[in-house]
Amino acid sequence: MPDRKMFWRIIRRLLTANRGRFLVILLALGAGATITAALLNLQVDAKRRLSSEFRTLGANVVVTPRSATSLSNGTLDESVANRIPKQSEGGTVGVVSFLYVVANASVDQQQKHSQAVVAGISGDPLSSVAPFQETSHTASTHGSSFCEVGTEIARQLQANIPARLVLQVEAVSVSCPVSGVLSFGGSEDNQIFLPDMAAAQRLARLPGRISLIQLSVPGTPQSIARYIDSLAQRIPEADVHGIRQFTEGEARIYNRISGILSATVALVLVLTGLCVMAAMTNVAMERRNDVGLMKAIGGATRRVLRLFLAEAAILGLTGGIIGAAIGILLSMWLGKAVFGIAARPRLIVYPVAVALTIIVAIAGAYPLRRLANIRPAAVFRGEA
Amino acid sequence: MFLRLVADSFSRRPRHKLLTGAALALGMAVATAALSVSLDVGDRLAHEFRSLGANLMVTPHADSLPLEIGGVDYRPVNAGAYLPEADLGKLKTIFWRNNIVGFAPALEAPVDAWTKSSQTYSAPAAEAHATLIGTWASHTVAIPDGSTYISGIEKTNPWWQVDGRWFKDNADECVVGKSFAARSGVKIGNVLNISAAHKNLSLLVTGILSGGGPEDDAIVAPIAIAQEIAGKPGEYRRLYVSALTKPEDDFGRRDPHTLAPADYERWYCTPYISSIALQINQVLPGADVRVIRRVADGEGAVLTRVRTLLWLVTFASLLAAALAVGASSAASVMERRTEIGLMKALGAGSGTVGFLLAAEQLLLALVGGGLGYALGIFLARLIGQRIFGAVPEFSFFVLAVIVGLAAIVTLLGSAIPLRRASRYEPAPILRGE
Repeated sequence: MPDRKMFWRIIRRLLTANRGRFLVILLALGAGATITAALLNLQVDAKRRLSSEFRTLGANVVVTPRSATSLSNGTLDESVANRIPKQSEGGTVGVVSFLYVVANASVDQQQKHSQAVVAGISGDPLSSVAPFQETSHTASTHGSSFCEVGTEIARQLQANIPARLVLQVEAVSVSCPVSGVLSFGGSEDNQIFLPDMAAAQRLARLPGRISLIQLSVPGTPQSIARYIDSLAQRIPEADVHGIRQFTEGEARIYNRISGILSATVALVLVLTGLCVMAAMTNVAMERRNDVGLMKAIGGATRRVLRLFLAEAAILGLTGGIIGAAIGILLSMWLGKAVFGIAARPRLIVYPVAVALTIIVAIAGAYPLRRLANIRPAAVFRGEA
Repeated sequence: MFLRLVADSFSRRPRHKLLTGAALALGMAVATAALSVSLDVGDRLAHEFRSLGANLMVTPHADSLPLEIGGVDYRPVNAGAYLPEADLGKLKTIFWRNNIVGFAPALEAPVDAWTKSSQTYSAPAAEAHATLIGTWASHTVAIPDGSTYISGIEKTNPWWQVDGRWFKDNADECVVGKSFAARSGVKIGNVLNISAAHKNLSLLVTGILSGGGPEDDAIVAPIAIAQEIAGKPGEYRRLYVSALTKPEDDFGRRDPHTLAPADYERWYCTPYISSIALQINQVLPGADVRVIRRVADGEGAVLTRVRTLLWLVTFASLLAAALAVGASSAASVMERRTEIGLMKALGAGSGTVGFLLAAEQLLLALVGGGLGYALGIFLARLIGQRIFGAVPEFSFFVLAVIVGLAAIVTLLGSAIPLRRASRYEPAPILRGE
């Protein structure tokens, strides 16, 4: 079909006739697509990252015995912890079991002693559910029977590294070297943490039992609520509830932040659209003479327009594909700069960014519509 | 003559000027909105983070080791030290007093409780070993400088929800935790009888409290009642303080004792959580002020991230605005080749032509930038209202940046075509080549 062949030939000529101009337009379109892709990718990723960033707040869900009137009585079987799914929609769940027992604590070869709360812990590291600052610690935690103490305990008993703590309940006693002094700023400062759960259970005389389980569940407010519901069904014998202080506060803050992110990203996208449109308008205006000539030698207005829209689409496609690829790389780098982890590329972002660029490029050629009214004679006379 | 040329150029092609001006205004509006929102967002988010509650806890320094499990202290009432409630007004006299958004003291006492109905029916006659938490619901604190300040648990623990209403500060009223209420069958409007070692009291239940913590199992009453039961008039055992802070950076984490005097001054006058803790310690002698790490550190981590992210996005928006405006002003100069050719043919030098066009562009930038600023502020208010329920504060900084950016970008955008225009030979242009 000679007609089509001619069509593409003209397009090729249009694109290659002025290499410098072609590059400038491609640059503008590419820059627009880059910013679009980078921001879209970063935004999708940032919301996910933020919800995991909230886990620096520690536990947001607790599992307690159903019958308990307060946390001091009633226990759970320790196997309950194994039935908790370690994966939620938002990522890995931190699970730590606690067993509380009041014991008489003293430092080896010293007179000082005091009643103190001993928390046997098992599961993930303590920091995943109860963030703390370590005021001092030792690297040599060989063997399993060491313990960490809160700052208050350390102050009152002078139980600093490498003192040896002796914990005693009636005839049972456990001794362990202090491997770290931890500052929480809460009641945990008054507790002794014993990672050897079996020893704590011996002290409490509750073999195989635990007081409660703390969970740190990442994810959006909705996915945390779903996780709590499914966990409650899975463990009917226990009471599963969110720690309102954190679930509610987090939900509020998360919604604000994601709102502000969406708003600014939308603003920037409007701007990039504007930018690309300005560049394309430029191209359209320069085409006046070409249009005039084509019409003078008998080109129908529709065919001439189609020619220029095709040019715009090709420019948009090329600029979009190159720009989106650069944009995704850029967002990975930005993700690393902001969150310390490269943003994961989302495949959906790529076609969206390219499509947006093409649409904007064609919309930018909108002033071509006015070219339909051009009277060739006027153009050639130099009137405009 | 110069002014006439400029005026003529505007009146002869109003549509063209309007288009360029509109592109400029739109670009600048978006940039203004992004900039003012991200300038404001730090403060707003810091306020939002206060919905996580207190970030500082004050306890007596000489206290014996609390035997606290799940928020309930198992020590006898007479063990341990207390702090005087009368001192609390001093909290609003520290350097960062305006950053303290709320504080509430707490005193716990073990009590036995029962209601009339539970006594009559066979159900457990008494809820033995309940905990009564004495605190402020909404208390007017006298500040040493003569003013007053209203604070209480509603501000430090905003997630506590009360069905009904909070107790009045000096009445024999209380609210009960929802688990406690469910267990003992207490309803709003009932009278709850409390007995401790040497006291018997009747409290009117005004609300059911749900907080998701140990308070759900407790009775919460005015602190005076807890003091009466514990026999510790005017004293409290724990104080929660909620303060607006700046996330700790490396400087904020340094030990203040090792700082040089000038650095210490800077540290003291920055609202880091640790410097506010130090200032509170200075007005409350005998107290230990501790940073609640999980709240303070979590807040710092999230705030820092969000700020960096928003600045990046704002920077991108400024860049995009600059590109859009630059491109459209370049276009508007390129369109006027014929006119430039004519002026040169009539004997105008490249300098004069450039000056004329630059003046036109600057005028456009000023008008467009101003309009864009107004539009952008409107947009920012809209966003602020929707997301935070509060409008961003007005800032001269934004105005200066926007008008400056508009001027620089239009000039730069037109500089490149102008340079080319100055090399034009008038004859070929006028011939239409």
